Amino acid sequence: MLGWEQFLKMVLLGLCGLLAFAYGFIVLINPYGHLPWHVLGAHAIMDTNQRFQYPAIARSQLFNSVVIGTSSARLLDPDRLDAALGGRFANLSMNAARAWEQYRLARLFLAHQPRLKTLLMALDWVWCDERADLDRITVRGFPEWLYDENPWNDWIYLLNPPTIEFAGRLALYRLGLKPARLAANGFSVFVPPESAYDAVKAEKYIWQGRSREINAVIPAYAPSAEDLQSWRFPAIAWLDELLRETPKNTRRILAFMPSHIASQPAPGSREAAREQTCKAHIWEIGKRHDAEIIDFRIYSSITTRDVHFWDPLHYRLPIAHRIVDGIARAVATRLDDPGGDWAYVH
Amino acid sequence: MLFHSQIFLLAFLPATLALYYRLAENANGRQRLLIVASLIFYGWWDIRFVPLLLGQVVMTWTMAAIHFQTGSRLPIWLAIYANLSVLALFKYLDFLVSIAEQGLGVPLPRAGLILPIGISFYTFQLVSYLVDVLRGEAKHYELRKLTLFVVLFPHLIAGPIVRHNEIIPQFALDPLRAGAAERISRGLALLVSGIALKVFLADSLARIADPTFVAIERAVPSFSDAVAGTLAFALQVFFDFAAYSDMAIGLALMMGLHFPLNFNQPYRATSLRQFWRRWHMTLSRFLRDYVYIPLGGSREGTARYLFATFATMGLCGLWHGAGWTFIIWGLAHAAGLAICRFWDDADLPMPPALGWLLTFFFTVALFGLFRSPDLTSAYRLGIGLAGAGAIGKPWSINTIMTLLVATGLALAPVTFKDALDRWLVATRLTAAALAATAFYALLVVGEGQPKNFIYFQF
Repeated sequence: MLGWEQFLKMVLLGLCGLLAFAYGFIVLINPYGHLPWHVLGAHAIMDTNQRFQYPAIARSQLFNSVVIGTSSARLLDPDRLDAALGGRFANLSMNAARAWEQYRLARLFLAHQPRLKTLLMALDWVWCDERADLDRITVRGFPEWLYDENPWNDWIYLLNPPTIEFAGRLALYRLGLKPARLAANGFSVFVPPESAYDAVKAEKYIWQGRSREINAVIPAYAPSAEDLQSWRFPAIAWLDELLRETPKNTRRILAFMPSHIASQPAPGSREAAREQTCKAHIWEIGKRHDAEIIDFRIYSSITTRDVHFWDPLHYRLPIAHRIVDGIARAVATRLDDPGGDWAYVH
Repeated sequence: MLFHSQIFLLAFLPATLALYYRLAENANGRQRLLIVASLIFYGWWDIRFVPLLLGQVVMTWTMAAIHFQTGSRLPIWLAIYANLSVLALFKYLDFLVSIAEQGLGVPLPRAGLILPIGISFYTFQLVSYLVDVLRGEAKHYELRKLTLFVVLFPHLIAGPIVRHNEIIPQFALDPLRAGAAERISRGLALLVSGIALKVFLADSLARIADPTFVAIERAVPSFSDAVAGTLAFALQVFFDFAAYSDMAIGLALMMGLHFPLNFNQPYRATSLRQFWRRWHMTLSRFLRDYVYIPLGGSREGTARYLFATFATMGLCGLWHGAGWTFIIWGLAHAAGLAICRFWDDADLPMPPALGWLLTFFFTVALFGLFRSPDLTSAYRLGIGLAGAGAIGKPWSINTIMTLLVATGLALAPVTFKDALDRWLVATRLTAAALAATAFYALLVVGEGQPKNFIYFQF
């Protein structure tokens, strides 16, 4: 038995020691790459929660071009983009990213790369979501402190179990005992290997028991003045701001990513009219900022065939390559694809 | 600033305790320090409410001063009226407007005032002091002491509802008096166990309960969801508030102050009367001493007893929130208490096991009403519990395990505080275990936004 004074001293010393050790370890290893040092080697992406890991890439200045989007753009290979468009690309597309999260990440990249060569915004429905300003982030959480320029708050959100875990993984990586989770340019193939593709299974995921027949609404819904007044696209203002703040010499590309027609609104429906209105706003902003605008989210030879997709939103790796090549060709020719894969808007 | 946040645990608390013990020999100095610290703690939520809090304290003290100088009871009545009016304005005005709106059938404007956090708790403490002054049971304290009694940060936001005569005399006690190290150690252990209960148990139960109470706004839930949601919430509200109370008691103990108990394993009660002697004990005590007994209590005939019980429990419901679900919840408890009493008076048998079962089901089911956003949703939940909806899916392993562990702990023969009082002894092993648990708790509260306590909204 101890005296209570001795007991209290032991508890406080033990607690302070553990806290100091854990905090010191985290700060030294710098798992988010946001502190100005890298002990024992370069930074590596050791977790798949991109919201916490991509700021390090955005701040690194190792890349002069970037593609930002949701999981619908994650398969765009940066090396292939380098070859197709020139520059050194990072792919910072985040799973289930809301428009706000993409905007914040793009702003961070811009702030740290004044000589940005290409900004490729891979758009999808989240940019037309009427609740984009209300549901800015997902249940995954979003570490605002990693995206701001306030150096003080960089120190106060580090003491928690996931950060210790990331720091541990990074330490093991630097000791050569563990591989990185994602490539340094943010790219990873998150879908199963092509050899595991099962067309029957994919068809099930795509149609989810619904009829394969998509009936166009005739006559097509014509938005009323009231519709046009009430339809909200709050995320478009962020896109506008982003393009405005992009350096003059940067090539801006807005590309709507393809999604299977099963997940697109039926032609002629009210939803399709709403989406067209949203796209029209985006085209207008893109033109104003002299962006290249390419639309893959159309009824096309890509989006009408089940075998191109794993599920309604995620296309297969060869399609990703086709999209990269398509973007390069669209930018070079400034024309619609003769095969109908994309529409070149501007 | 929440107790289970790193800003509180790693900055506010160590700084406050260090300064407090540095001023241990200066009673006035350490009281002033605690007032300033408590106001910072309170202002962290919304600094606009600090003047309101201080205004109510200063007004109460001034009216008491006039009373003690002149002997007039009028200032005390005015102060009680003013305090209750402030509470009514912030908490009940819009509810009263909605009732008037329904009666008149015309839309009326709402004030839309933000409810100052902790107002129900600190207003009740001020009122209890004023009533004691009227009864001749309270003296005229210095403004500093009365202020500290009300704003002391461990109990400011959600109790325990302490009484002036059990706290203010303790302000004069030297915190370094014999047993200081043991008090700090036990206080720390209680704080850590409270954090663990909140973060690991109450918040896990919320994840089971919340979807059900969202779903009942639209449809009748399945039997499976209704039972899981209701039971999970009944356990959540207990562990959430018991955890907060443990943290508050632990924090006070770290400063050498003793707070009264707030919970004593209420779900072990074998009657509803026993339940209310074990649930939110400081509120029950307040309602008993300042409402139930003055209204006649149980000694002036059946009619008076029924009136006192229904009025007290109706007020208890209303204190929790401005809504019919809370009022009906309180009145249903009053009916249950009356039935219990008549049963006892008639000497009818009630085996303890059956008494426990009835009490448990009654209190758990009524917490479903308590948590429901409105009466329509409560009705849907009620018929869902009665099996009017689908049977639903079997519970997940996680739900089963969480509910089993929580129910087991809620029915354990001792509280966490009892267990620590009995079994926390000063050894190297317990010191290492406490340090390691405190360390882990500190890490866990640093992950994401901490969840508010349920009772903060009251």
